[in-house]
Amino acid sequence: MPSFSTETCPLRKKYSLWFTILKLALLFICLAFPFMAGNYYLRFAIVLFIYIIVSIGYDISSGYCGMLTLSAAAIFGAGAYASAITVTTLKMPFLVGMLVAMVVTGLISFLISLPAYKVKGNYLALISLGILEIVQRILNDWTSLTHGAAGFFLPPWSIFGMNLTDYAKYYVIFFFLILIMLFEWGLIKSHWGRDFIAVKNDEIAASGVGINNRKFKVIALLISSMIIGVAGSLYASYSEFISPDTFGFYLTIFILLTVVIGGTGTLSGPAIGVTIVMIIPEFFNASPDLKQIVFGGLLIILTQVMPGGITGRIKERFRAIDDNRHIENLGDRPPISFEKYRVNADGPENILEVKNLTRRFGGLTAVGNLDLEVKRGTVHSLIGPNGAGKTTTVNLITGIDKPSEGSVIFNGEDITGMEPFDLVKRGIARTYQHVRLFKDLRVIDNVAMGGRIYYTYGLAGAIFHSRKKRKEEKEAYLEAYDCLKLIGLESKSNFDPGSLSTGQQKLVEIARALCEKPKLMVLDEPCAGLNETEVEELSEIIKKIRDVGITVLMIEHHMSIVMGISDYITVIDYGKKIAEGTTAEVSVDPVVRKAYLGEEVTAC
Amino acid sequence: MQQLIFGLANGSIYALMALAIGMVSSTTGIVNFAHASVVMMGAMVSWWMMVIYGLSYIPALFVAIAVSIVLNIVMYETCVKKLGDLQDNVGWIITLFGASIILDNIARMLFGTEPQAFPYLFGGKMVTFFGANIMLHELMMITIAVVIGVVYQTIIKKTRFGRAVRAVAFRPATSELMGIKSEKIILSCFAMAGAVAAIGGALIAPITFASYTMTYSIGLKGFAAAVLGGFGNTKGAFIGGFILGLIEAFISIFVPAGIKDSISFVIMIIVIIFLPEGIMSAKFFNRNLSAAEKV
Repeated sequence: MPSFSTETCPLRKKYSLWFTILKLALLFICLAFPFMAGNYYLRFAIVLFIYIIVSIGYDISSGYCGMLTLSAAAIFGAGAYASAITVTTLKMPFLVGMLVAMVVTGLISFLISLPAYKVKGNYLALISLGILEIVQRILNDWTSLTHGAAGFFLPPWSIFGMNLTDYAKYYVIFFFLILIMLFEWGLIKSHWGRDFIAVKNDEIAASGVGINNRKFKVIALLISSMIIGVAGSLYASYSEFISPDTFGFYLTIFILLTVVIGGTGTLSGPAIGVTIVMIIPEFFNASPDLKQIVFGGLLIILTQVMPGGITGRIKERFRAIDDNRHIENLGDRPPISFEKYRVNADGPENILEVKNLTRRFGGLTAVGNLDLEVKRGTVHSLIGPNGAGKTTTVNLITGIDKPSEGSVIFNGEDITGMEPFDLVKRGIARTYQHVRLFKDLRVIDNVAMGGRIYYTYGLAGAIFHSRKKRKEEKEAYLEAYDCLKLIGLESKSNFDPGSLSTGQQKLVEIARALCEKPKLMVLDEPCAGLNETEVEELSEIIKKIRDVGITVLMIEHHMSIVMGISDYITVIDYGKKIAEGTTAEVSVDPVVRKAYLGEEVTAC
Repeated sequence: MQQLIFGLANGSIYALMALAIGMVSSTTGIVNFAHASVVMMGAMVSWWMMVIYGLSYIPALFVAIAVSIVLNIVMYETCVKKLGDLQDNVGWIITLFGASIILDNIARMLFGTEPQAFPYLFGGKMVTFFGANIMLHELMMITIAVVIGVVYQTIIKKTRFGRAVRAVAFRPATSELMGIKSEKIILSCFAMAGAVAAIGGALIAPITFASYTMTYSIGLKGFAAAVLGGFGNTKGAFIGGFILGLIEAFISIFVPAGIKDSISFVIMIIVIIFLPEGIMSAKFFNRNLSAAEKV
């Protein structure tokens, strides 16, 4: 792996110059293209642009948000027909047709996303496949509306009463393509884009930094469908004839292939993918079945050999392209200390009160009638043998699991049964037993995700790069950088989390939690998988966190750290509390010794 | 009565497809999106054997079964095996669709686009039963499907191999530690699914005619039946298949053919939304899994 860090900024600048040149050249070629090309290639380019829009839309839901759907062709067709019917049967102008197309495709996306929040990937694929079939049937059989299999003719395309020539059509569609690309760029380079990736990578961790998974999935599908709807209405108006055959299973496969080739979850992937998939068949005059076999083979091979697609490969080779401009222009930062995260100690003395907490899994009571009080500003350890119900307790407190009985009161407020993304806003941050970092985001992005609840710019701000967005993004990244500095990992900012050691990953999780500016930090086995030095470092960090007033609730097996830094210890076994008290009290408690050593201890 | 038998006969095909989909899904957790294409291949190969090489029904069927088994094994080796964790990496959806397209288009190149007439069992003999004309073939479809289901159920419940399958389905990694070769079990499940696919293909072909698109919509209904019964649930697959077949048969009295086809997809979507584990396991399935395991 090439070494890259915050010091690689000259490298990025070198590339960015090349990229600007490349972009300008592409723009120039696209603008001048109609004057150089014949009629055939002009049409080819127009269709290419339309499919790039489709592919961009599809990539937002399937590539960024990780919802692999197979209904892209159906949505495209629905958009095309909705706009065609509006323009022809209702005699409305083109732009109204486009709006209707977006509304219709948006409604279809709700149908797909309705169950998306509770079912896994394969069900989503099945639902979308079902919708593809249903839309086909409607297009074929509702003849009074769609003219059935014979196809649907549209009047010549006009905008504001002007009939468009072929050149004009080219530029109009190119204009829409640029518009959609700018939209996607704004969206993806904002916290929305990172949120989508977070949802794809790890829903539990995403929820843990304040993302409502369900909402974001619905939004991703909605945006993606509306973009495809725009493409559909452009296609209908441009081609002046549409028929149900166009929008079948093979188109879905075509769109899927463009994303697989170009690279899922990248900005330029769709454009590259569509260009390749459309140009390949032009070179060898393949029969349709041979072409499909090649497509099928590409799907099988590329998915396994090149999961990131072409753009993924490029990014792997030139990591520095992706470096973050916010941390390049650091300037003189004031020295950072944990003081920044100090929380003031108002509110009840017990920051967390757990009463009669019970969780049953079938016949097994994992946690039974547990009472727990955590005093503000202390390090409170929860210990017990394996399977004692520690992680279940923590899951119940942090909202990942719902208690069968009992209540959880945080800072004087009943939070029983609340979702994790609501708890984050109230000041509960947590880390996980098995590291849950977002693997497609770099270390600094991961830490910055912790601060996402403090973003205030909206979708419009994201797309138009408002001043507020730029300011908040810069602040968030500087803060994340500071956070990394606190744990001593600032030099790894631009690394992939997967390239860090387990200990470093655990520290990054703590930095992420710290970025949430919590009142209570819940650490689930922070020392598991760490070596002795790292444990030492970690205990220093936990002490510092406690010293600025953040309460720490910790599950840990590593007895030296538990005894070294805890103020209070609760011991549970078989889901019941068997001892509680200060460190000194618990360490001499006979019941605890029995639970840990298995028998009455007579001598020590 | 005629509708009832017709519905059950169609339902038995859906059930066979759901069963084969369930075999694969129970051990790997994936949905074999290329299954319909394998069914089609089974039908086309047995048609070829009978018409071109003049084999009789049973030997032709055996050739088709062999071909389908090989196809399914090759599919596992090329499309699924290298992807690693199948829950985490949903690339199999893409690769299996790729395989499906390849099979469809190979069939199109080999056998042409014309639908071909496929012989009925017993030469299409009819019997009169409570005043309704029923084809013996349809009765055989139901019988064969039920026999396959019972045999599979017995294998799973009674034999050493069946216990291994269930172990792999529950915890592949742990089974591996207990000395079960997970991969071998998965492979044999793919192979069994292939065999069932070929039989189903040969049974449905007389009704749909043999062509490369013959399973295009039936395949989807196989998924619908699998969803209805719950993935990997053998009994559920049969109940799902028969329910779907019957609903279709009776609804087709009232609505035009095009809408009839979408009914099963609508049912599938509704079931996924409200009972994602299938109608067999409403409410009490999967509730008891510890959330701690997820974290």
